[in-house]
Amino acid sequence: MTRSITLALVTLLAPAGAALLAAAIAPLRKRGWPAAALCILASVASFGAAAMLLLDQLGGAQHEAWTAPWLESGSKAIAEIGIHVDGISSSMLAVVTLVALCVQVFSLGYMHDEEPPAFGRYFAYHALFLFSMDVLVVAPNLLQLFVGWELVGVTSYLLIGFYFRKPSAAHAAVKAFWVTKFADMGLLFGLLVLFTATGSFGWDAKLSPGVATAVTMLLFFAVVGKSAQFPLHVWLPDAMEGPTPVSALLHAATMVAAGVFLVVRADPLFAQAPATRAVMLALGAGTALFAALLALVQNDIKKVLAYSTCSQLGYMVAALGAGSLVGGFFHLTTHAFFKALLFLCAGSAIHAVHSNEIGKMGGLARRMPLTAGAFIVGALALAGVPGLSGFFSKDLVLEGVEGKLGSVPWAALLFTAGLTAFYMGRVIFVAFFGEASSEEAKHAHEPGWSMRGPLVVLAALALAGGALARPFTRLYGEREPYAFHFGTSSALAAGLALGGFALAWVFYGDGRRTVPAVVTWVEGVAETRAINRIYETGFRSVTLPFAAALGWIDRYVVDGLINISAWLTLEAGRGARKVQTGYAPDYVLAVLVGVAGVAAWAVIQ
Amino acid sequence: MTLSTCILLATALFCIGIFGLLSRRQPIAILLSVELMANAANIVFVAFGRYRGGTTGQIFATFSIALTVAEVAVGLALVILLYRSHHREARLDRATEMHG
Amino acid sequence: MTETLGFGVVAACMAISALFVVLSRRLVRAVLWLAVTLVATAALYAMQGASFLAGVQVLVYVGGVVTLMIFGVMVTRRHDGITVTLDSTRSGRAAVVALALFGIVAFAVRTTPGLDAPANPPAVTTADLGRALLGEHVFAFEVMSFLLLAAMVGSVVIARRKDPSPEPSRKGAAAPEAASPEEAE
Repeated sequence: MTRSITLALVTLLAPAGAALLAAAIAPLRKRGWPAAALCILASVASFGAAAMLLLDQLGGAQHEAWTAPWLESGSKAIAEIGIHVDGISSSMLAVVTLVALCVQVFSLGYMHDEEPPAFGRYFAYHALFLFSMDVLVVAPNLLQLFVGWELVGVTSYLLIGFYFRKPSAAHAAVKAFWVTKFADMGLLFGLLVLFTATGSFGWDAKLSPGVATAVTMLLFFAVVGKSAQFPLHVWLPDAMEGPTPVSALLHAATMVAAGVFLVVRADPLFAQAPATRAVMLALGAGTALFAALLALVQNDIKKVLAYSTCSQLGYMVAALGAGSLVGGFFHLTTHAFFKALLFLCAGSAIHAVHSNEIGKMGGLARRMPLTAGAFIVGALALAGVPGLSGFFSKDLVLEGVEGKLGSVPWAALLFTAGLTAFYMGRVIFVAFFGEASSEEAKHAHEPGWSMRGPLVVLAALALAGGALARPFTRLYGEREPYAFHFGTSSALAAGLALGGFALAWVFYGDGRRTVPAVVTWVEGVAETRAINRIYETGFRSVTLPFAAALGWIDRYVVDGLINISAWLTLEAGRGARKVQTGYAPDYVLAVLVGVAGVAAWAVIQ
Repeated sequence: MTLSTCILLATALFCIGIFGLLSRRQPIAILLSVELMANAANIVFVAFGRYRGGTTGQIFATFSIALTVAEVAVGLALVILLYRSHHREARLDRATEMHG
Repeated sequence: MTETLGFGVVAACMAISALFVVLSRRLVRAVLWLAVTLVATAALYAMQGASFLAGVQVLVYVGGVVTLMIFGVMVTRRHDGITVTLDSTRSGRAAVVALALFGIVAFAVRTTPGLDAPANPPAVTTADLGRALLGEHVFAFEVMSFLLLAAMVGSVVIARRKDPSPEPSRKGAAAPEAASPEEAE
């Protein structure tokens, strides 16, 4: 086995081993710290291997694949599992493992107050998640990707519902699972169509236009669910019930990005379906705008960031819809860094103030300078302020969508950039500046080093990540080396970003709390919860009756068969018992009948 | 007096005994029918003994009589037991506690 | 000729009284009809030259077994002394089985050759029987005496009472559930 494959295997198997040990050996888990230690060690190993792998790939190592047969029909292998190493998987692997490691170290401090059994359980789930995500990233075919996809869905459920005794958390976990599972039907059917058409699950096939469109539309349906695009975005805000580090890792940087990763991986297929790409472009841009509007009216800092994630994923989807793999994928990378950073800073603030509400914070910059500074760095990167990583990735996206579909998506994305700056500015000014709005805010202080360290690391990456553009785009397979040029998009984006922050200062700076009209209007719309209501009605009128009907069939038809055979047996017994009358002469009769029979037979012989 | 006639006679008695065994309600009546059957068997023994010569037939008949006597003694004891345990009534069709 | 006539009379007697044994409505009468059958059998034995056996038959069967039966009837009778016995529900089946068996054996007898050879074997005397009993069959003879002893003791043990029982004073044989059954053993 080659070096690349071995390294990739380490990234997979280290967290798998940690998860397995934590699951199987209860004392490791119940005592808390052993499971955490295992998990973090595994993540360190995983990241170490991923980093080495990335460096190899950057140095020009070969793309490699190793597979083993998994499902066989006769002697033909229908499906295989294995490892596929190339620029795309190695860069994603490095990003995932790094952010996971940062989040896990942060969790040591953040989850410190949990009971040991819960603490252990948390880290066991984290190890399981990292393994699942790695399986997805290194998948050599779409089937293994699907396996990893479902696995991360399960770990997401487990982690969102981590505080399972809280009804809202349990509800949110189930909602996330159902919505994404509903969308996963698309992935399943897409794979089936693909297999029927090509006999394999690879992404390199040449398909007829009709089949290509069908397969890609089905796959995109799953992406809509996993990456929380409109209208299947409803689970993501609720998913904030999970611990904040979980929100940082799964619901910002990695899991929700899996949808985008799927499109990146299956790019050869999507390239053959321009219709699907058009839909992606429109939907992505629309979601970006829609989510940004909703982010304006949230008072829970995590919900702001959740809708922001939704919006940025829309950017990535739109970029891919426009055919810009580089734009979509590089934005995924920078977004992973600065969004995780933002969430972790939010976690730090929440930990200090014991509340998610920005209204209960205030003046935190004075008391928690590191957190505030990191948050501001993250916000600047997110808004696309020139120089930071987000600026370059957003620029790639905008360049990619310019001119497509009458440049309407391009305009929407630009406007959204302005909105992004505005809502982030609102949060900064309300939460970090001004006067402390609550008792807790007055006594806020910086957290321990375990929570500060990752903030620094991620802030550095958010700040300087633009430098990665050149090497990474080469990894993605771009022939022309990356060169940044300052075009119309760049200028407009920069302007809108700065303008957005300025406007936020006008409305919210210096302790002001003026509410713009648009915010009130959006609030009104958001209050209706129209989309959620549609899903609830649909669920109540379709899914539940259907389930009830199936339940009836199970109880009365399936079980009915069993019950009937049992009843028949009993009745047969009841009838057979009548032979035993207890009256001795009857038994004698039976004997004599037998004797007569034997005698007759003997005589006849 | 031929052998076959004797056998037929004995068989007739035996079958009459079977009929009585199966269709009577009283245990003593059933015992009577069993007597008939045993007696029929004895007739066959004696008939064959005469046909073949020798003492074997009659010896067997003697022993058979002895056995039948023993069986009747014990049987009547059981009938008395049955009578006592069923409210002083000896009816076999009421003694069906061993039914299924 | 006379032999055949005699045989016919005895046979007829036997058969008719056997029928009455199983069909009679009154138990005592059935027992008496059995006595008749047994006497007829003894006559048959005598005609066949088994005089010792005829004597044993009368002494043991008629004198002993029939007497025992009468005692049994006396001990287990209903209060009013009448015992009716025929069970009609099962007699149909019984008749079928009995006739079937008879048919099979008759068929076997008819189809077996050589059963009608006239036989005039040397007569068997009582002395011969005595010698056989204490000679060739002595072992069975001794065992039989044990058997009779066991039967005697056994029947006494089975039928004895544990404690003095009250005389029954209630009427009728329809067993009321309320009355406690006697200690059986």
